[in-house]
Amino acid sequence: MEVLMLLVYDQPGVMQRVMGEFTRKRINVETIVVGKCEMPERARIVLSVENRERALNVIEHLRALQEVIEADIVAPDRHEAYAILLGKSGVCRVTGTVEEVEALIKKSQPQRYIEAMNAI
Amino acid sequence: MGCCDVRSGRCKECEQTMKGARAAVELLERQKVDVMFGIPGGVLLPFYDELAQSDIRHILVRHEQCAAHMADGYARVSKRPGVCVATSGPGATNLVTGVATAFMDSSPIVALTGQVATGVLGNDAFQEADAFSLMMPITKHNFRITDPKDLAETVNKAFMIAMTGRYGPVHIDLPTDILTSDIAEEDLAKTVRVPKPKRNLSGLLDAIKLLESAERPTIMVGGGVAWSRAGGEITRLAEILMAPIVTTLMAKGSVPDNHPLVLGVCGMHGRQVANYALNNCDVLLAIGTRFSDRVTGKLSEFGAKTKVVHVDIDSSEIGKNVKGRVGLVGDAWTVVNALIAGLQKRKKKDTWIERMKALNKECSCDHDLRSDPIKPQKVIHELSNNLPDDAIVTTEVGQNQMWASHFYKCYGKRMFITSGGLGTMGFGFPAALGAKVARPGSVVVDIAGDGSLQMVSHEFATAVESGIPVVVCLLDNGWLGMVKQWQKHFYGSRYMATKFSGTPDFVKLAEAYGAEAIRVERHSEVAEAIKRASKCEVPILLDFIVDPEEDVLPMTPPGKRTSECIKGRCQWKGGA
Repeated sequence: MEVLMLLVYDQPGVMQRVMGEFTRKRINVETIVVGKCEMPERARIVLSVENRERALNVIEHLRALQEVIEADIVAPDRHEAYAILLGKSGVCRVTGTVEEVEALIKKSQPQRYIEAMNAI
Repeated sequence: MGCCDVRSGRCKECEQTMKGARAAVELLERQKVDVMFGIPGGVLLPFYDELAQSDIRHILVRHEQCAAHMADGYARVSKRPGVCVATSGPGATNLVTGVATAFMDSSPIVALTGQVATGVLGNDAFQEADAFSLMMPITKHNFRITDPKDLAETVNKAFMIAMTGRYGPVHIDLPTDILTSDIAEEDLAKTVRVPKPKRNLSGLLDAIKLLESAERPTIMVGGGVAWSRAGGEITRLAEILMAPIVTTLMAKGSVPDNHPLVLGVCGMHGRQVANYALNNCDVLLAIGTRFSDRVTGKLSEFGAKTKVVHVDIDSSEIGKNVKGRVGLVGDAWTVVNALIAGLQKRKKKDTWIERMKALNKECSCDHDLRSDPIKPQKVIHELSNNLPDDAIVTTEVGQNQMWASHFYKCYGKRMFITSGGLGTMGFGFPAALGAKVARPGSVVVDIAGDGSLQMVSHEFATAVESGIPVVVCLLDNGWLGMVKQWQKHFYGSRYMATKFSGTPDFVKLAEAYGAEAIRVERHSEVAEAIKRASKCEVPILLDFIVDPEEDVLPMTPPGKRTSECIKGRCQWKGGA
């Protein structure tokens, strides 16, 4: 899994424009997290794709977008994962390294869960 | 509204605000826009009302697609942004093809579309289409203005983005209530910062080393060189390197076709000597080209034995199609000058270039230029001979385009304008009109086919009405010729939907619009007709009835090696 981090202008249409590059290149986005960040009117997008070739294929095209301020591939030691699990004992929130989170999901066999990659 | 003068758009008492429509027109004037191409519509009425007070020339077209092509043609000649305008909904959707054409050929146009009022956006109002989303993947950038405060900054940004880095079309979607709302003076004064051009020349030394040690260097130039106007520097670099120059379709005319080192257009229908140089060089210096599949043929075979130095202003192009060993990011002019400065010491090995020059002389086609029905090559040949040295040629798409690119000699101040990337039939005629507006002193000729011309023949009305005297040189063979050619060679001559049996009389058609027209059916009349047309002061159509059996050859079938080329009358014996 490769994780990309983008700093973008926080305005309507940005996600469509960013995702458009993935659509054009026929790359499936595995997970996506978008949120406010330390700068006003800016947002961070963290998304993951299956492999390095795909990440490299799209990164320069993302950098060429006017609304993208920065776009980088995140080093694996900065990858984080989080998940929300629903099991017999209710809702469980998990954050940690990718291995930790995935190990816990595997172990607890939840009825439903959602997992996403994050990084900082 | 009490104190405001509606006619001038300015508030008499306060002088502090201005209507959006007035502001939009003033912003265009500040960008030194002298002409725009378009069609009005309901939501644009406030804008057109203000445009009437402006010195900006508005050319009323007959279909919005052609407005974008005209802006594109204007931009390619003037190297300044061309401006087109269309109304909401169908106006915007009609504009799409023209904008996409400009996008694929990196042409700087600014496209304005009207939009329904912000209050009803997304409610399927009359003539509403989501132009913002439609234009997104086919523009360099696009905007939808939803706050009058943003108008000035957006318009200024649009022009800046179109003309910085790799040029490209920018679209602004302009809701009608923005045009009627008040805009404060301070919001109109907002300017934008022009970012520094992105450059990465860290590979320069590697590039110089590669080129210095090259035995068989070859320079391939693309559309970026035409935009950067680096042709003179590139011929100097070629002389230092003793390297032949091959051009892509988009670069035709950026280096003179009559220069001894220029081998002409390469690719699927290119000159065999140009393809030979590409296939047999050891170091390829590729400048401002994106290695289109029409140039490379089978991508995995292309440059397999070659070291590539790839120069492009757009870093996302480096390594996109051909994995460049060395990438240099910067505009062609700057990088070529840096290479010239670094390469002064190169030892000239002239065996390669002497061989290429000799092969270049041998690379010719044996066409019978004195037969009837007229061979299309004869028409191109006579255009080469008889057009002035500053003539501008545009083409449609298909056989006419490939004959023109292969056989037309573009040198001096001549220009060659074509839809290379998107391959838009119907591009040439409106682009010629835009080119003529940008450079009224030059003879402008659209080399057309009868298929393409029928897509835009209504623009004769625009040409006559606005007094834009271009020459339409119609290679009339009664077929969708290029598709027919593929059906002939690759689909067992099973012709499906390529023969026109209901073609209009093009002479009568042009005359009906008030243009002049001549039908030419004999080879002996070709030169005379061209001479007459280039002096004509009204739009003129030359309807050349050409041999429908003639194919565009040589041709390297798609995805094949140059050695599998279909040669026709090409006499090339130099190998693949």
